[in-house]
Amino acid sequence: MKIPTLHTERLTLRGPDARDIEPMRAFYASDRSRFVGGPRTAELAWRHLGTEIGHWTLRGYGRWMVEVTETGEIVGNVGLWNPEGWPEPEIGWDLFEGAEGKGYATEAALAARAYAYDVLGWTTVISLVKPANEASARVAARMGAFLDSEFTHERWGHMQVWRHPAPADIADGGMEAYS
Amino acid sequence: MSLRTPIPVIETERLILRGPRDADLPAYAQYFTTPRADFTGGQRGEVETYSMLMILAGHWHMRGYGLWVIEHRETGKTAGWTGILHHLDWPEPELGWAVFDGFEGQGLAHEAALAARAYAAGDLGIRAPISFIDPRNDRSAALATRLGATIEKRSELRGTPIDIWRHPDETEAAA
Repeated sequence: MKIPTLHTERLTLRGPDARDIEPMRAFYASDRSRFVGGPRTAELAWRHLGTEIGHWTLRGYGRWMVEVTETGEIVGNVGLWNPEGWPEPEIGWDLFEGAEGKGYATEAALAARAYAYDVLGWTTVISLVKPANEASARVAARMGAFLDSEFTHERWGHMQVWRHPAPADIADGGMEAYS
Repeated sequence: MSLRTPIPVIETERLILRGPRDADLPAYAQYFTTPRADFTGGQRGEVETYSMLMILAGHWHMRGYGLWVIEHRETGKTAGWTGILHHLDWPEPELGWAVFDGFEGQGLAHEAALAARAYAAGDLGIRAPISFIDPRNDRSAALATRLGATIEKRSELRGTPIDIWRHPDETEAAA
């Protein structure tokens, strides 16, 4: 399984691997993980990283680790997610401590969406947002997504379903716009 | 970049040990709805089983080794798993195995576990591994005995009593 690397203006999106154990532990130890099942122990964070890597092997696509290209700092975990039990393929974004407020989530998620549409040929994609997670809803809105429906997951509970604009509705879409 | 560990494939007389795939989910999900799963982490639904499959696939890339899926050569069916697990809360790498309904009583788990143990000793340098076995799991204990393992101590794993068995060091036996 070869995980593609994506480049945006400021960010590099690369496949998750063992070097991400510590940043993942730190994220799940922080309150920032409260909308995605955290805070969690180091052991559960380790297992979560396993699911991130395993999703790529099983599904052939997944979520990338996001680095600031200039500094190499790992600032988040963004990409495509569709394990068993998901309503349909999703773009998700988790931004680590100290990385918020800089537009990184939007920038990385736009690259992930372009990959889904242009490389994988998806015709639609959603984002699941916890109702109280206003920062995440703002990212979805900024990407042109709209509140479409609701979904309750057996483990993750109640979530809003935001639907992204279709490929044809994105004026300046295309990988080249983000690479 | 590519994931650093291409999962090796091991062939034995009747089995193929290979990395997990999406298509293995139904067989795993079926197993995890039966009481036999009480001995291997507990019964669970399909969503949790898939989550576990993702972790098992990811384990290979975080540790450089992991659990293979046992594929039954003759039928091509997903028959169980074996291999070396080392979750963060494990005291050391563990040799594990399970065979699914319909594949028991034919020595398949023995064949698979022997191959996995030999690979661990030879290719990974993991010698004399432990096996965690639920004290109520007589079949697994019988297989551990057949593999030459002995009980080292009674312990606890994620809140449940567990026997820690120790395998012989095959490299010593061969020397």
